[in-house]
Amino acid sequence: MIVCVAVVGHQNNPLYIQSFTEADDALKLHHIVHCSLDVVDERVNNPKKSGLTLNETFLGLLYPTENYKVYGYLTNTKVKFILVTTDLDVRDADVRNFFRRFHAAYVDAVSNPFHVPGKKITSRTFAERVSNIVKSFGLSSAG
Amino acid sequence: MGREVSESCIDGLLTEMVSSYCNRFYSNTPELAARRIEAIGYQVGHQLSERYTMERPRFTDHLEAIKFICKDFWSELFKKQIDNLKTNHRGTFVLQDNKFRWLSRMSGDPSVENGTQDPESKAAQAMSMYLYFPCGIIRGALSNLGIPCAVSADISSLPACSFVIRIKV
Amino acid sequence: MAPVAPRSGDAIFASVEHVNAELFTLTYGAIVRQLLTDLEEVEEVNKQLDQMGYNIGVRLIDEFLAKSNVSRCVDFKETADVIAKVGFKMFLGVGASVTNWDADGTCCSIVLGDNPLVDFVELPDTCQGLYYCNILSGVVRGALEMVSMKTEVTWVRDMLRGDDAFELQVKLLKQVPEEYPYKDDE
Repeated sequence: MIVCVAVVGHQNNPLYIQSFTEADDALKLHHIVHCSLDVVDERVNNPKKSGLTLNETFLGLLYPTENYKVYGYLTNTKVKFILVTTDLDVRDADVRNFFRRFHAAYVDAVSNPFHVPGKKITSRTFAERVSNIVKSFGLSSAG
Repeated sequence: MGREVSESCIDGLLTEMVSSYCNRFYSNTPELAARRIEAIGYQVGHQLSERYTMERPRFTDHLEAIKFICKDFWSELFKKQIDNLKTNHRGTFVLQDNKFRWLSRMSGDPSVENGTQDPESKAAQAMSMYLYFPCGIIRGALSNLGIPCAVSADISSLPACSFVIRIKV
Repeated sequence: MAPVAPRSGDAIFASVEHVNAELFTLTYGAIVRQLLTDLEEVEEVNKQLDQMGYNIGVRLIDEFLAKSNVSRCVDFKETADVIAKVGFKMFLGVGASVTNWDADGTCCSIVLGDNPLVDFVELPDTCQGLYYCNILSGVVRGALEMVSMKTEVTWVRDMLRGDDAFELQVKLLKQVPEEYPYKDDE
């Protein structure tokens, strides 16, 4: 299950963060997202060491904690997407598919003429789309 | 394939946008009109670069980003690529479009017809105002890709149009 | 002159040069946002968008008449129908329908279910009085004036304000009799 997703601007300013748990662990999840940003920077600055295909937007598993797996994605415009899940057995294809759909939703949200670049994303349409993408995580490419 | 509209829509809109800013809102301060038209282009370029770089690896350097503007980005907007790219290898790039579509289609601009100045200079003035829009688009696109720059247009060899990009260091 | 059958909106749309709608949509959005910054008052932005549309409509009508083979319509009813079904389709790629005729045939509604101007758009709370698509009402008014029909065009429904469609009410104020170009000895 996806417990948290986040969009973070190129100066590490949060643009959107949403947790999807019943439990009152938003603070903990925000902390995990925050810590993952350094890992993203490190990955991007040392692509060889981290075994990434050169400059691919999908950064893969950033780090596993005891209870969570954290994945990252960096757009060409230096915006970071972070995904936190409690699933232990996560397929790469599912995560890639998630980020692709998430990216498309993000691009539409910032295409709103009233969205100010670098400011938080407040769009209701975006929130709804994200919630649908989160719900269908791992389902669409099953089988 | 994505959604499309008739080319007359964008032509009509751009002509009217330029004429509104130059003849109605800022008729006595062309430099302010120019700045507004450039700002409109900047927003469009910023948003388009976000869209058109989806599903594409990140650019490693300035040249790669500029090549993207010349090829994919230009093709999306004008169904053709930039014809010639030159650089002095010190942060200046010149992108030449041999037949810039927006100029070749703007002949019937009514703002040109009712001036007291001689029509040719009025037409050149309207044209240079109009070009702030694509300059803004390029600057917006590159700045969103992390490349702050200044962009100007040169129409000394019409119908070719050159866009000069100076990257700020 | 032999009568030529009017062409359908689809056929004309297929034959004209296209551009991707994103460029158009985002450009229009950027213009609206810049106008809000420069003119400050939402009312004034509505007015200027309408004026811009009017000027565009005045120019687009020639292309419309030339490409559609529509002979000049005399009747308001027929004209409204052609604008909705052929005009909107030919330029925006989306068809509109005409409904809500009043008893004497001088007032009707043009209804659009979909409209490329508003892709991605969400109005902020500060712009609730804004008629985002007001350029369209201007275009209709301008185009009709060029075929001698003076109209008043107002928004009845707007999807950006939560309605289920876009509805423009077009009211005929005055129909100026057609003048022949060679009759200029008054």
